[in-house]
Amino acid sequence: MSIGELVLSLADNKQLLGLRYAEWATRAPSLEADIAAAAMGLDDIGHSRVLLGCLEPLGEDPRAADRENDAGAYLNLPYLDQPWTTWGHFVAANAVLDTAFTAMIQACVEGNLEVLQSRLRKMLMEERYHFLHGRSWLREGIAPEPLEVAWREAVEWFGPPDGEVARLHQEGQLAAGPAELLHRVEERLEMKAPSFEPDWGAWDPRRRRSRPGAIDARTFGMLRGLEERKFMPSGASRGA
Amino acid sequence: MQREYQRVHQHVKVYEVFARKARPEPLRQIGSVVAPDADLAAAYARATYDEERWVEMKIVPKEAITTLWAPGEEVAE
Repeated sequence: MSIGELVLSLADNKQLLGLRYAEWATRAPSLEADIAAAAMGLDDIGHSRVLLGCLEPLGEDPRAADRENDAGAYLNLPYLDQPWTTWGHFVAANAVLDTAFTAMIQACVEGNLEVLQSRLRKMLMEERYHFLHGRSWLREGIAPEPLEVAWREAVEWFGPPDGEVARLHQEGQLAAGPAELLHRVEERLEMKAPSFEPDWGAWDPRRRRSRPGAIDARTFGMLRGLEERKFMPSGASRGA
Repeated sequence: MQREYQRVHQHVKVYEVFARKARPEPLRQIGSVVAPDADLAAAYARATYDEERWVEMKIVPKEAITTLWAPGEEVAE
């Protein structure tokens, strides 16, 4: 795995995270939380665009041609495959997964690649408010199931101790390896990840997940622009 | 469909939001948010009032503000 593939994984996860946040912009428990969900969704979709813009300067674009037709070609975590069914799912993603992605962005900013140092720095400022939002709601208490799943997927996303993230850390492209990244997330959230041993044999190093699956059909259609075409007047075409 | 919001937190506070667009300007009150703690109030204030390019934004618990006088009240001699 190259640093470009890792950045693509970040971009895909942030795009899906942003879309899932946005789905709660009229369903959150309070009007303030609705607005925050919308704002964080916009932030993360914007971050995804910035990350995708880093791929070319980093070298070969790792996006495969089958992304247009295969939802499984996206590098998002299983947690983001389907719309969330409870507010607890939102909070667990907001607190654990968003903070895990931020820890990786910080490792990129503190690494030795100039394009990532300069372009990703602003994200850290915006992510501060995602973190405050997630941690505060987490302190209110949520069901254990989504929280445990989010932690497991964060640990898997950081990768095995001797994997490619560890190699990128040794090469200086990342300022932290998997153990340090997890430690940073635990420290920020003031809680420990549940103890478990990932099945690295079943783990897909490109998608950084061990569970198969893909984005739901409606969301995949939205990513490809098919949903918005439904609202076009008949006879209109893109770019007209 | 009409939706009614219900407070999920038992204990919430009103936080007044202050901001300014340029350093020479004074901070002015631009609104308020309701939250159970300052962290969530900060996240809500940023999300709700981020449409302008503020150079500074602060929140203050409304209960921490002492009113000297207000519209409709007599000025203390």
